[in-house]
Amino acid sequence: MINIIFNEWKLFIRGRLFLYSTITFVVSLAIVVFLGIIQNNNQRFYQSKAQKHVRQQWENLEAMNPHRAAHYGSYAFKPINILNSMDSGINDITGNVIKLEGHVQNEIVYSEASQSLSISKFGKLKSSLLLQYVIPLFLIFLAYGSISREKETQRLKLLVFQGISLSKLTTAKSLSIWIYGLLLLLITISTQIIFGKVDYQIFNRLILITFSYAIYYYIITSLATYFSARFKNNTSALSSVLAVWIIWTIFLPKIWGNTVEKIHPLPSRQEFKATMKEDRSKGIDGHNPTDKRREELKKKYLAEYEVDSLKNLPINFDGIVMQEDEEYGNIVWDKHFGNNYNILRKQKVLYQVLGFLNPFVSLQNASMGFCGTDMIHHLDFLKKSEDYRRYLIKSLNDKHAYGGSKTGDWKWTVDTAFFKSVSDFSYKTPKIGGFMKHYFIDLLCLLWWALYITTMIKFKVNKDLVI
Amino acid sequence: MIQYFKIVRSEFIHLMRSSFKIITLFLFLFALIYGCQNGYALFKKHNKEIMTINSKNQELIDKMVTQYEEIESGTKEKPRRDPTTPYWAIWSTPSYAFKYPSPMTTFSLGQSEQYGYYKRVTNWSTTFDSDLAEEIANPERLAVGTLDFNFVFVYLSPILIIILLFNIGGLEKDLKFDRLIFLQNISTKKWLFARFSFYFITIITLLTMLMLCYAFISGVFKNETSSFIILMLTTILYILFWFTVFYFVSYHGKGTSDQAIKMISIWLGLCIIIPGIVHQLTSIKHPTNYMTDYLDVNRDQVNDIFELSTDSLQMKLLNEFPNLEKTLSASDTSINKSIINRSLSGLVNILNKNVANEIEKSSKEKNNFIKNFDLINPVTAFQNQINALTETDYYAYLRYREYIQSKIDKKITLILEDTWNKVSVDKIKYIEYVENFK
Repeated sequence: MINIIFNEWKLFIRGRLFLYSTITFVVSLAIVVFLGIIQNNNQRFYQSKAQKHVRQQWENLEAMNPHRAAHYGSYAFKPINILNSMDSGINDITGNVIKLEGHVQNEIVYSEASQSLSISKFGKLKSSLLLQYVIPLFLIFLAYGSISREKETQRLKLLVFQGISLSKLTTAKSLSIWIYGLLLLLITISTQIIFGKVDYQIFNRLILITFSYAIYYYIITSLATYFSARFKNNTSALSSVLAVWIIWTIFLPKIWGNTVEKIHPLPSRQEFKATMKEDRSKGIDGHNPTDKRREELKKKYLAEYEVDSLKNLPINFDGIVMQEDEEYGNIVWDKHFGNNYNILRKQKVLYQVLGFLNPFVSLQNASMGFCGTDMIHHLDFLKKSEDYRRYLIKSLNDKHAYGGSKTGDWKWTVDTAFFKSVSDFSYKTPKIGGFMKHYFIDLLCLLWWALYITTMIKFKVNKDLVI
Repeated sequence: MIQYFKIVRSEFIHLMRSSFKIITLFLFLFALIYGCQNGYALFKKHNKEIMTINSKNQELIDKMVTQYEEIESGTKEKPRRDPTTPYWAIWSTPSYAFKYPSPMTTFSLGQSEQYGYYKRVTNWSTTFDSDLAEEIANPERLAVGTLDFNFVFVYLSPILIIILLFNIGGLEKDLKFDRLIFLQNISTKKWLFARFSFYFITIITLLTMLMLCYAFISGVFKNETSSFIILMLTTILYILFWFTVFYFVSYHGKGTSDQAIKMISIWLGLCIIIPGIVHQLTSIKHPTNYMTDYLDVNRDQVNDIFELSTDSLQMKLLNEFPNLEKTLSASDTSINKSIINRSLSGLVNILNKNVANEIEKSSKEKNNFIKNFDLINPVTAFQNQINALTETDYYAYLRYREYIQSKIDKKITLILEDTWNKVSVDKIKYIEYVENFK
């Protein structure tokens, strides 16, 4: 088998077209990775500048009432992961800015896609675009004729009569092309390691990315050589494998994506807002002095501090009411947004299941997942920003309640030192280890396909096809 | 001519005998219908949502009218937010800005899934408010994209053409009887042209029939006939573009495989690589705007306005809105603080408009940058042309934002005029407000 692979490579290297294509690929991949890193660094610079700008404003706040500061609020800017330079996943279409303030949980807004005309339906020219669309296609072009060409020239009969196993020949030919794909993949990863900042976590992610792409390339090359062995001529093999490629990469992902949304529908924004508003109205309205639930809370605190009126309370009851309002709002948020996130997760799992029919979907999911640019990572960012919002508002409300002011004293202020003492929002891409459960299906599907196609070559490719 | 018809007839027989091509043709038709259906479903969904909001608004209006009647008859006290003041009356006047979907949406969802299409407009609204966010959707599904007519047509029709044409001229070369054909008093050019024209006519006929069906179903011919005709011409031009490119590939091709590889490579280059390069270059040249200027206006600059004294605010208001000089309050000797406070949104709106203009200007530069590549990036250019015809492109939503701004301005003008003229709002006046924002 090694001899066949060696022989195949000799033939490859002799071909001018192959050499030119290889040079083009290597140069393109290096440029694309490099440009991706530049674009990423650029975007990271603007993101960090915006985050610093907002923090500076917060730290330089003039003395003001804590509740006013809660309305002033802060912003979280979605950070860009280092591996966004390889696969931007959903980052181009999700929002980038979320306002964190009292009383309301805002949604993330201002996506890149909404800031200009539509450009590419397949995303930016990042290495993932080349690795997912261009290289597999090139591997198909290399593989589709590997056996059928031998058939057309009758050389295959000669080889079979000499005692070579056709399945071994097919596997060897497929492996020789797969090695080529692997080399291109390794060049991409190495360029990323050389030019990008790679720490232990990123390195782990890169290993998983390499693994996923390597299996996919194995599937593609094996399938193309399998078709090459099964079909009578080059043309049939090529047209069939191209048809499969088109169905896998263009048709199925879109059709199944739409279907999944129909199976697990999300509420409309209007419906979502209305139900959330209704639930929210059942809690305390921090700004409504005649609210009944506020009265009940008042009685509770008066009893607890054993005083007869709010002015005798040693704490500021307004801060208590505001925090109570927040706590209730948080429960409502957890219920409604939690429900939406659950639906989104169900949709994701159902979409991933398609991997058993279409390994491209598994590759795409694994690629953006391991690059930290998929929905799971996005939801994690949203959750962390909401956690920070709760911390921020609670700090302000607690200061309002227990900082030394009295109920109704809205002119009472806190100084810059307090605002500085409130920690800034910081988000780090989570470790991949904790997220692996989300990508288990994708890896399983890829492995299943690799096993399936190997079995097909082993048992369905035999000398009966030639004789 | 007879020779031409003979070639076309034999091409028809060839097509009928090729189950692979027939299946592909049916798959393409299925994708087109599926795409149109998706577009039509979104068109209906948007209309339905808008109708729901309108009916909720009507309920609110009825409630307000009843409240006025009760206040006027003395059976109810004025609430905390006094509806007899113009500020709260206008606040309680439901005024939504809708982007009504065009029936042409059936043919392209375009960027409609990236923007909101309804917005409650108040005097404090801006054109970049977070409630203008897009409909709740799975971001991964959005990233993969929806299979609409535009996508099927722009990206899949070239693939269909490749499948139909890749062996034309190539098969004869593979089997080495191409020279035999040219012995029969016909040139390669004419022979290829005749065979290509059969497929061209077939595809155009199928597309036209399907588009006409969906145009009737979605009611395109009520108001959008001209857009539909331009869309039809655009589709013909686009198909012609691909046929021309592939004609040259076939003409210079060395065999079926060679032609197939060249054709699919051209498709890959024009549909994936070049748009990807343009997308990446645009991102490098014009990175995502984090809207900090807008956020600054929303917090710091608005804060600065709130910090100003009543005197300064009055002066500022009279400077910015000279019409207020003629109002009742302007002639008063003492300043009414509550009137000034209720007019502040007018000053904030000016700040918001200024920053919105800057943002739109930078987006315009980005769009111009993208358009500069149209000649080498024809697929994106066609795609955006279809989006423009179906009113689902960036500019359609820019016009929608302009419409929202005009509504905000109208609200503020009314609040200022009536507040400064100390108008007391009753049921009739309220209905007048409602009519104003319909």
